[in-house]
Amino acid sequence: MLSRTAEYLYWISRYMERAETTARLLDVGYRMSLFPNPSGYNNEWESVLSAAGAIEGYKNKYDTIEQKNVEDYLFFDESNPSSVYNCILNARNNALVVRTSFTPESWLAINKTYQEILNLKEKKFIKSDLPDLTEWTIEQVNLFRGSLSSLLRNDGYNFLFLGLFIERADNSARLLDVKYFVLLPKPQYVGGNIDNMQWSILLRSLSSFRAFRWAYDGNITATKIADFLVLNNNCPRSLSFCIQNIVKHLTNLTCSPEKVGRIYNNLKDLNTKIQEEKIETIVEYGLHQFVTQFIRKISSVDNEIHKEFFN
Amino acid sequence: MFNEMYQSESVIRNHYNNINDWLDQMTSKVILEKNAEAETHFRNIGITFSTNNETSRERIIPFDLIPRIFTYTEWLRLERGVIQRAKALNAFLADIYNQGEIIKANIIPKEIIYKKKSFEPSMFGFSPPRDIYSPIIGIDLVRTGPNDYFVLEDNCRTPSGVSYMLENREIMMRMFPDLFHNNRVTPIDDYPTRLLQTLMSLAPIKCENPEPVCVLLTPGPLNSAYYEHSFLSDQMGIEMVESTDLFVEGKYLYMKTVDGPKRVDVVYRRIDDDFLDPLCFNPQSVIGIPGIMDVYRTGGVNICSAPGVGIADDKAIYIYVPEMIKFYLGEQPILDNVETWNCEKEQELKYVLDNINKLVVKEVDGSGGYGMLIGPKSSKSTIDEFKTKLSTNPKGYIAQPLLDLSFSPTLIKNQVEGRRVDLRPFCLIGEQAQLSSGGLTRVAMNEGSFVVNSSQGGGVKDTWVLAE
Repeated sequence: MLSRTAEYLYWISRYMERAETTARLLDVGYRMSLFPNPSGYNNEWESVLSAAGAIEGYKNKYDTIEQKNVEDYLFFDESNPSSVYNCILNARNNALVVRTSFTPESWLAINKTYQEILNLKEKKFIKSDLPDLTEWTIEQVNLFRGSLSSLLRNDGYNFLFLGLFIERADNSARLLDVKYFVLLPKPQYVGGNIDNMQWSILLRSLSSFRAFRWAYDGNITATKIADFLVLNNNCPRSLSFCIQNIVKHLTNLTCSPEKVGRIYNNLKDLNTKIQEEKIETIVEYGLHQFVTQFIRKISSVDNEIHKEFFN
Repeated sequence: MFNEMYQSESVIRNHYNNINDWLDQMTSKVILEKNAEAETHFRNIGITFSTNNETSRERIIPFDLIPRIFTYTEWLRLERGVIQRAKALNAFLADIYNQGEIIKANIIPKEIIYKKKSFEPSMFGFSPPRDIYSPIIGIDLVRTGPNDYFVLEDNCRTPSGVSYMLENREIMMRMFPDLFHNNRVTPIDDYPTRLLQTLMSLAPIKCENPEPVCVLLTPGPLNSAYYEHSFLSDQMGIEMVESTDLFVEGKYLYMKTVDGPKRVDVVYRRIDDDFLDPLCFNPQSVIGIPGIMDVYRTGGVNICSAPGVGIADDKAIYIYVPEMIKFYLGEQPILDNVETWNCEKEQELKYVLDNINKLVVKEVDGSGGYGMLIGPKSSKSTIDEFKTKLSTNPKGYIAQPLLDLSFSPTLIKNQVEGRRVDLRPFCLIGEQAQLSSGGLTRVAMNEGSFVVNSSQGGGVKDTWVLAE
């Protein structure tokens, strides 16, 4: 497989994953905007923007934070590199180049999505359309992922999934980091409205709101949520699940065992640690520190994948 | 005036009877639906033109639902004629880059060949595998009567359009399966396999691999034929590479893969000569593979088509193709050339200037239907403009009579109307010479128009060759 093909495949699934995360964040913001603002509580859209890592770009463009502008910025804006539109555009442009490396269905899934978002963009949207847009995005990403199931299980497949889980690990960790303070048990907040809301934001944005309920009995507590999103191997968005899958798809690569070996060496400590760790230890150590280190590690793995395979 | 479907106003040609019945029972509503379905399909699979303006939607070529049909007998003659021509063109290339017999025999003046920019001096004295310079040739044909076909031009470099030929058939089979139950249409979907076989049969001398590694070299996604590049490489199961994916080391060409370098035996290039090798051709080129020409000349890789084949489809050389057929093959040409005046020659220029309102004047280096004058259809001021151009730069132009291109029934606003068509079949030459059983029919969608180019409002049709 061409190095460039591997790189493009890797990025296609990163972009598609990112499109979903951004869309889910928008949905969270939309839901929150329908609830009465608790007193002393910040504008929810600001929190959505910072979770999407788009707060700076947004503020360069707009003076005030308003739903309409946030929606536009996160969904359609061409100047925002992580907007759903840009993610789909980039995924599609990459797919155009490597369409020979996956199935016609995968290409169709991406290209149809692209054709449709062009239509959506032309028509723009009215306020009540946001849930439709989110739903549409999730559907499209699912179509794409579904189409991958008929792929040959070759290196291309593994590069696609490496990209997907690197992106997801990063997205999950960043969301955790933005919201880490809600998971710090501060007696004065526990059980309050703000907490419940914040928790639900976090879970919803990771598409895990209902899954959490099924996975844990009893009361929602900060520790349980942290455990769910960091250590639970059954949760497809948890950091440990992502790491496990990165290791799996990395070691499934049949090309260049020595390159795989070098990357794996860098990753295996983190993998062992996250599989053995207890959530109490992490919380005690400081969730923020833990997550920051995690993000740094993922980024270094990403760099190594680029250096070893794509150059 | 020749109509492909109607023998006279009331008589349908036999081989169009089924299509006529089919048209009769199609309602306007169905036509609209099917047109929309075809458009959506073409957009979804991405068979579009790139435009330079990135924000605008990509364009698709209008697709006409009514197929253009050839009988087995009609096709047999075209097939023989096109293959004959393709063989002669390759023999011509092998000759002028080596002995130059045709020049010695005073059939073609040497200055016409050696002074052309498209003649590639670096190819002199080199013979590619099997002496095949141009393994894929697209011949543009028009028809003016039941047995009257003319070759408008030869495309020896990298003819495009074959993906339209294949996709037009795909969409027709998908939308109207019954048509294919009721008509015996020769399949064309083996074209990519045959193309790959052709390329593999042209492996370079130093290739030891029984299954030579072929790649398709594309300039990249901004090229207007990019869809075709990815489509063909996908169908052939070969890598589509850009020049940055390739590099030369020692006497071989390699592509960069996740496993490390992998040797490449045959490059099906869809880029121009100028961008092949900055060391040999255009030193300004940022795309290109430094050193590839050296590997090529020492038999480490084959480049298809060979650099310098452009001389064979030069409009000034076109005039001599019938002579080539006689000279190299000892045969009479099966397909006719269009009578052509070379404005470079004083007497012919004079004739052209005197008769310009009856002629079509074309730029020697023009393509896509641009820079063309259709005398009978142009205003006096345009004609005067061309007269000046001709007088100042006679070398740049040729002239031909305006041919009465055949009409093919075409759906215009849900009505069947006659529109002019041409045809580009694709000929492959490697271990054997063969013609696609069909080709790309282009249709001038505007009433009365003679210009079938997609850049000028042309559309496309599925092209059927009926089985024996």
